[in-house]
Amino acid sequence: MGEDGAGGTMHLLCLAASSGVPLFCRSSRGGIPTRQQLPFSVIGSLNGVHMFGQNLEVQLNSARTEDTTVVLLVGLEELTNIRNIERLKKELRASYRLIDSFLGDSELIGDLTECVDCVVPPEGSLLQEALSGFAEATSTAFVSLVVSGRVMVATEGWWRLGMPEAVLLPWLLGSLPPQTARDYPVYLPHGSPTVPHRLLTLTLLPGLELCLLCGPRPPLSHLDPQLLERWWQPLLESLRACVPLGPRALPAGFPLHADILGLLLLHLELRRCLLTVEPSGDREPSREQRRRLLRSFYTLVTSTHFPPEPGSQEDKAQQVHMPRACYLVLGPEEPDVGWRLVALQVGPRRLLLLLSPQSPTHGLRSLATQTLHALTPLL
Amino acid sequence: MAVPAMFNLRRSSDELPGDPSREDEECNSEDWVSDSCSCSSASSDSDDLKPEWLDSVQKNGELFYLELSEDEEESLLPETPTVNHVRFSENEIIIEEDDYKEGKKYEPKLKRFTKILKSKRLLPKRYNKKNSNDTGPVSILKHQSNQKTGVIVQQRYKDVNVYINPKKLTVTKAKEQLKLLEVLVGIIHQTKWSWRRTGKQGGGERIVVHGLLPGGSAMKTGQIIIGDVLVAVNDVDVTTENIERVLSCIPGPMQVKLTFENAYAMKKEVTQQKQKKAQLNTSDLVKLLWEDEVEDIQQNILNTPHIIMYLTLQLDSETSKEEQEILYHYPMSEASQKLKSVRGIFLTLCDMLENVTGTQVTSSSLLLNGKQIHVAYWKESDKLLLIGLPAKEVPLPQLRNMIEDVAQTLKFMYGSLDSAFCQVENVPRLDHFFNLFFQRALQPTKLHSNASHSAQQYDASSAILLDSFPGVRWLHLPQEIKMELDTALSSLEAADFAELSEDYFDMRRLYTILGSSLFYKGYLICSHLPKDDLIAIAIYCRHYCLLPLAAKQRIGQLVIWREVFPQHHLQQSEDSNTKIFQEPEGRYFLLIVGLRHYMLCVILEAGGCASKAIGNPGPDYIYVDQVKATLHQLEEVDSRIDERLACAPRPCLSSADWFLTGSRDKPESLTTSPILSRLQGTSKVATFPTCRRSLFDYSLKTHKPSPSRSIGGSDNGCEGGEGVGLSPNTTPDAIRKQRESQCSDGSEESGALLKVCKKKSTLPNPFHLGNLKKDLSEKELEIYNTMKLTSGPENTLFHYVALETLQGIFITPTHEEVAQLSGSVHPQLIRNFHQCCLSIRAVFQQTLLEENKKVLNGADRSDSINSVSSLNPVKEHGVLFECSPENWTDQKKVPPVMAYWVVGRLFLHPKPQELYVCFHDSVTEIAIELAFKLFFGLTL
Repeated sequence: MGEDGAGGTMHLLCLAASSGVPLFCRSSRGGIPTRQQLPFSVIGSLNGVHMFGQNLEVQLNSARTEDTTVVLLVGLEELTNIRNIERLKKELRASYRLIDSFLGDSELIGDLTECVDCVVPPEGSLLQEALSGFAEATSTAFVSLVVSGRVMVATEGWWRLGMPEAVLLPWLLGSLPPQTARDYPVYLPHGSPTVPHRLLTLTLLPGLELCLLCGPRPPLSHLDPQLLERWWQPLLESLRACVPLGPRALPAGFPLHADILGLLLLHLELRRCLLTVEPSGDREPSREQRRRLLRSFYTLVTSTHFPPEPGSQEDKAQQVHMPRACYLVLGPEEPDVGWRLVALQVGPRRLLLLLSPQSPTHGLRSLATQTLHALTPLL
Repeated sequence: MAVPAMFNLRRSSDELPGDPSREDEECNSEDWVSDSCSCSSASSDSDDLKPEWLDSVQKNGELFYLELSEDEEESLLPETPTVNHVRFSENEIIIEEDDYKEGKKYEPKLKRFTKILKSKRLLPKRYNKKNSNDTGPVSILKHQSNQKTGVIVQQRYKDVNVYINPKKLTVTKAKEQLKLLEVLVGIIHQTKWSWRRTGKQGGGERIVVHGLLPGGSAMKTGQIIIGDVLVAVNDVDVTTENIERVLSCIPGPMQVKLTFENAYAMKKEVTQQKQKKAQLNTSDLVKLLWEDEVEDIQQNILNTPHIIMYLTLQLDSETSKEEQEILYHYPMSEASQKLKSVRGIFLTLCDMLENVTGTQVTSSSLLLNGKQIHVAYWKESDKLLLIGLPAKEVPLPQLRNMIEDVAQTLKFMYGSLDSAFCQVENVPRLDHFFNLFFQRALQPTKLHSNASHSAQQYDASSAILLDSFPGVRWLHLPQEIKMELDTALSSLEAADFAELSEDYFDMRRLYTILGSSLFYKGYLICSHLPKDDLIAIAIYCRHYCLLPLAAKQRIGQLVIWREVFPQHHLQQSEDSNTKIFQEPEGRYFLLIVGLRHYMLCVILEAGGCASKAIGNPGPDYIYVDQVKATLHQLEEVDSRIDERLACAPRPCLSSADWFLTGSRDKPESLTTSPILSRLQGTSKVATFPTCRRSLFDYSLKTHKPSPSRSIGGSDNGCEGGEGVGLSPNTTPDAIRKQRESQCSDGSEESGALLKVCKKKSTLPNPFHLGNLKKDLSEKELEIYNTMKLTSGPENTLFHYVALETLQGIFITPTHEEVAQLSGSVHPQLIRNFHQCCLSIRAVFQQTLLEENKKVLNGADRSDSINSVSSLNPVKEHGVLFECSPENWTDQKKVPPVMAYWVVGRLFLHPKPQELYVCFHDSVTEIAIELAFKLFFGLTL
């Protein structure tokens, strides 16, 4: 698999490592899928480099150019025993939308953080109760309510899903065209890579979907309107209030400091995260830019300062000096210009904030500490 | 009387009969005089009129002459044990002394002999270093490049003492040839090998070391290198014919002297003088190595995959030869071989990615035997320079800085990468260059073998950051000393002395002195060179470890002379405007003269006003003498500089340990550390480190965010931590009680401290480079310092580094200062600080890169998407760390935690400046801002 981008173009290339046959190649420019493809010679060279290294027991991981372009050569997750490449290629077309959404400018961040994108509903306990009841009634352990690709409430079982699928399932929903109901076969990369499961979705309100992950039973037809009505009709008002929650992630009226322009909260043990770039949405920079800033900052912080997995005892023994917080001041030299970014790690929680230029540098940490403290009950 | 006899004996062993190849070379060697041949230099040495270094000048005019001062050499020689001398006379063995020792201890004895010889002028000066030479961590497989050179070289011999125990020999009757050599000595020689240097001669082949038996005596010495030729055993000449016979004569366990023809020396050819430098380093190195297991360390570096390659991208398809694209590579070790074999990947990536992305590849990462290796690329025209080093030892940002440094240095030394790598006579020099380079990269502690342990640690941990700085460590001196130095340098630069005057000889002077810079103990103390030249010289000195050398050893004499290619002079300005200054089409020479702790670097220009240089001129002794005279002139200044080094007028630093001395080892540290005693005086502050932690974790509700993170507020938050869930053990009562009981003692000391600080406050500020704006800053400082006395938080500065690119200098605490701050946590903190600064600097470098691009592209073209989404430009970046003492054994108590910041700030205008500070979490933002501002304002 190769990935590289320059001038805003990003390519994702998937090759069969054994034969070098390209399985698919997706490209996007500035977040929008394009038809532009890598020239065949490049594909050939990439495969050649990989094969050559493999023969000599050297595995090339990445290469960087001046524009920090990255080439990643990741060994293909075993799409085991490729019998018929052409057929495989056709089958892979089904996942193009999902793949493109990774390349594009998603509103979610789970691809980067490997945490499930979540939102916090205003009346969480009510919804949770209803969801549990509904799960019992349908005798399914894996049920969740998803708002535009973000999990709002889910059953215990759903939260226990392994890492790739826990992020991918809501993400898949976000990438699919809206439908009132779906019965979608999915393989779970971690939990069940060979036997497909069924992903049932029911759109309760536009953008708000009820998801069930189950085996052969129950059939979609069992989830009749009466069942739905019984459980969800009483909560209709609450659900309505949740629909616009998607990008905001936090319940309306949650007190955030006025300087905060963007917020990313991660719980690294539960593998859940909250991302919002809505606060003071009328101010510069745009939401898209805020997201990008937070993404870049997350990458910087994780790759250079904070260990990706906190709490591993060996690391602690080795590293007596543990990083706890860090900040970055952007922009030209004039004082009080340029956005501030601050990251804070307390226990399993990591908070990243994008702050307006008015926020004084020395106050960054106390502001972050305060915000994290306020957010702690939510995640 | 015994001494000359010994000498003769030694000589005779040098001049082994029946060695046609060597005789051959002697006849052919044109640069005979330049080599350290004992006969020629011995005679010249007696001539006092000639400078000692004259014989070391190479054919191409280069000189690298280094001599330690007498007392240094003395100190290098440990007491030597008595050694067993065995002489073989044909078949009979005479054991002169009974007790034998390990062979390695023997070495210094020879050294001492040579020293005596030298003092009697019986031996060339250089001889005394011969022995310690080559014992350093030279690659076992160095010989291959030798084959490439094909240049006649001077041979040298080395004696290695090996402990041999024939009883080890089991019943196996040595039927096979050379079996004894393998079993007893541990040297593998294969007769079938067609070795280049193996010439058939009467009575058998020369015994070339083809391999070393793991764990064998030969390997244990660490001095025998593959490719060496065994010529004598206890001064009995040996060949493949008689070696078994000779060895079988050894009756019992004993020390045997093996004489080798040196593989490393053989190809050293004219760079011999350079090697002398290495010797010194390695002699330190060897001392270090001898304390540990030699083979371990050598093996370590060999087992680490590392490589430098210079490849051509233009392949001549007609002459398809194996490895023809490799113009140069080093080393030859097995671990590096694999990296060499995958060079196709790098070539392909370099080519392909440039085509696809339009930008050049800078680095790639790969997994080799489960180890991550970073490979940095440096492309110039159609050539590619690659350096690969393991990620664990060298983080990527550092590697990228390193490859840039290598390219710069080589360009400075040779003009261009092509002329450095593509000339066959440069190969051994490059081998040496990269040997040093990898030593520095992979075993920084070994090279920084400083006198004191703490200084060594400091050097090693700061090297990761400072070695890639575009600047020189600067020591600010008081005005009167500075004036003295300036005057001395100026009068040298004026070149107004009689011998140099044009009237005197009625001819054009040879060189114009462009400028000079003076180093003392590795600190730049005075410079009259343009920034670019200064930095080029600094990188050169860094590569040859000259600065640490001058810091820790008194140099007897150091003379370096070579042609250099300062890019900034050689780049012709495109503007043909006659009004602006045009660089003359001259040639440039670097002259470095070292004396004791001083080093004076001078850049000379030939052509232009001075006469044109013809051929490869060697150092002109008039110039060398003048530079030396300048250094002599400064002789008495050094005590004052030392004084300055000892108590530099910088901000007081604190040791991290002072904040962590919980209940352990308290009394000593308390009484000795003024800081803590001061903290005692104000009991609020004393409990402070733990307070911050609790505050950080829990005290959100009580501690309202205030613009100033004031101490008082935090203390209140801690002591009156009602309902905040303050865990009781964060401030153990026991500690507090102890502290309170000591308050009374503390108050006395704080009185004394008051005086100390008062005194300090009158000194100029750390960040105070020039004496500009003095009055203003002094005022500020008064405030600053009085603040210090009352509340104490600003003395929580742990470390700092300030880089000033306009003048090409950086300031950082001196070794002396750091040495005062001993402790267990503090060295870790310093290491962590430098590592963190490296990553912060990597972010800054990205910003600088973008800035440069913006300048190139014109300011109007603003790529809005890129500028916002990427983290550019960054002007400040800080990281907060928490640490607690290691090996906290007290199970009942939570170890005290100390939090500190590492903050870097980048100033872009008028010239990029970088400042990195490390301070305790309690520092108020006012103090930080003040520090930044002082630096910013005063370095202008």
